[in-house]
Amino acid sequence: MTEARQYGELATQLLMESRRSTQTDMLMKYNDSLVRSIIREQRDLEKAIDALLVDGRPPPPALLIIQTAINRNKRCLLAYHSHRVDRLRDMYWAVGGALPHLLSNQDIRSRLSPHEVDYLRQYNSSVMEFRSEFSHELDITASITNPPKDLHVLVHVVKDCGVIQTELGSIQFEKGQRYMVRRADIEHLIVQGYLEEV
Amino acid sequence: MDWDAQYELLKAGKAIPQAGPSYTTRNESNIDDDDMRPVLPGRDPGDEPERRRTNLILDEEETVATPLERLTRHWMNERHAPDILPAQEDLLMNLLDHLRRQSEAVQLLREDPSTSEEEHMRIMLVQTEIERVKFIVRSYVRTRLFKIEKYARFITTTPEVQTRLTAAELDHASRHAKITDQHFYVSVLQSLPEKQSHLDDTPLFVPPMITEPDKTRPVFVHALKQCPRIRLPDGATLEMEKGHISLMPYSVVEQLVARGEVELI
Repeated sequence: MTEARQYGELATQLLMESRRSTQTDMLMKYNDSLVRSIIREQRDLEKAIDALLVDGRPPPPALLIIQTAINRNKRCLLAYHSHRVDRLRDMYWAVGGALPHLLSNQDIRSRLSPHEVDYLRQYNSSVMEFRSEFSHELDITASITNPPKDLHVLVHVVKDCGVIQTELGSIQFEKGQRYMVRRADIEHLIVQGYLEEV
Repeated sequence: MDWDAQYELLKAGKAIPQAGPSYTTRNESNIDDDDMRPVLPGRDPGDEPERRRTNLILDEEETVATPLERLTRHWMNERHAPDILPAQEDLLMNLLDHLRRQSEAVQLLREDPSTSEEEHMRIMLVQTEIERVKFIVRSYVRTRLFKIEKYARFITTTPEVQTRLTAAELDHASRHAKITDQHFYVSVLQSLPEKQSHLDDTPLFVPPMITEPDKTRPVFVHALKQCPRIRLPDGATLEMEKGHISLMPYSVVEQLVARGEVELI
């Protein structure tokens, strides 16, 4: 990085990452070094302001430019984090609120910052508390993409997922087998990728 | 539909749902209440559901809407409105109670060996229906949850919106606002110089940091009855006849939606 960089150039790079993430519909790796660089820039800008402010003299016009740069950088930083958090929540709901399933995926885990993992845990506990209001009648974390058309569904087991309680009693799902089961009993397993609809 | 009357009785605790003949008659009428059930060849009990289904959109006469029809309407409105609409806690709780009772009745009947083949077919329809009603409830709750999270900070600072939420939703909103703020703080703000570490800046020429519902967003409106004259943003006025469908900013029809004179489609 050269010294001739303009104010706010790094922040633009950060926003480009968010935009690419939206366009490719995937979560990118948390760009820790870029975030740190921008924070460093912010501190330098703050020092520049302090240097410009001399008691008893009217503030020079350069102050306005620096102040604008500070505001913009800060907003870009927050926008980047906010965008990521939105994506994280989407991912969380896409697996039906199965947080351990999400966090045990090394590929996803490696793209999160430690703070984001904390955030997901807190978010999960908040959602669970909200869900407990309904738990007896229905599970609000189940899928809402397609209205159910049939009670039963023919599934193909993609990954072993142990013994599951269904209305027909407990079933041992083993890889490669097919079962006709009640959709409501195993919907979460389809969402998490253990079973596939045939 | 006498299901409504029965439902009122049930609500008041005067009639106890029981397995047996009363159960099947109750559910026969309930099947007719379905607005979204696909027409299954050979299973359709006549043209009755056909008529009921069209009621929702093209209502010719004043009919008392069943709880499910009311929920479906609230669900559609909620999904289309940019703002958070008043919570329908009583309606939702009654429906959920009803769903639970029906599931219990189904369970009883399924285990009863004297249940006939024909009744088993009915049970299957009822079960499917239960799943489909649950789907609507779930989608409705989640739609609200999505908006609540989006506007969490706005909600915590605006008492007027808080009155439209249930206690549980309000809790979730404040928890969500808190954990999001906290996340921003530990990820960004705490590393910034002291003067920059606030979340409520109001710099000039920059949108505010608190996301508010955009009430100028256009929505499709369907008039359920003759509506009073409304004023459009360009100064013109419009009087919507019953059945009229129009596209306009949400803020214009906000009151009509609240009074149930129009629905969003």
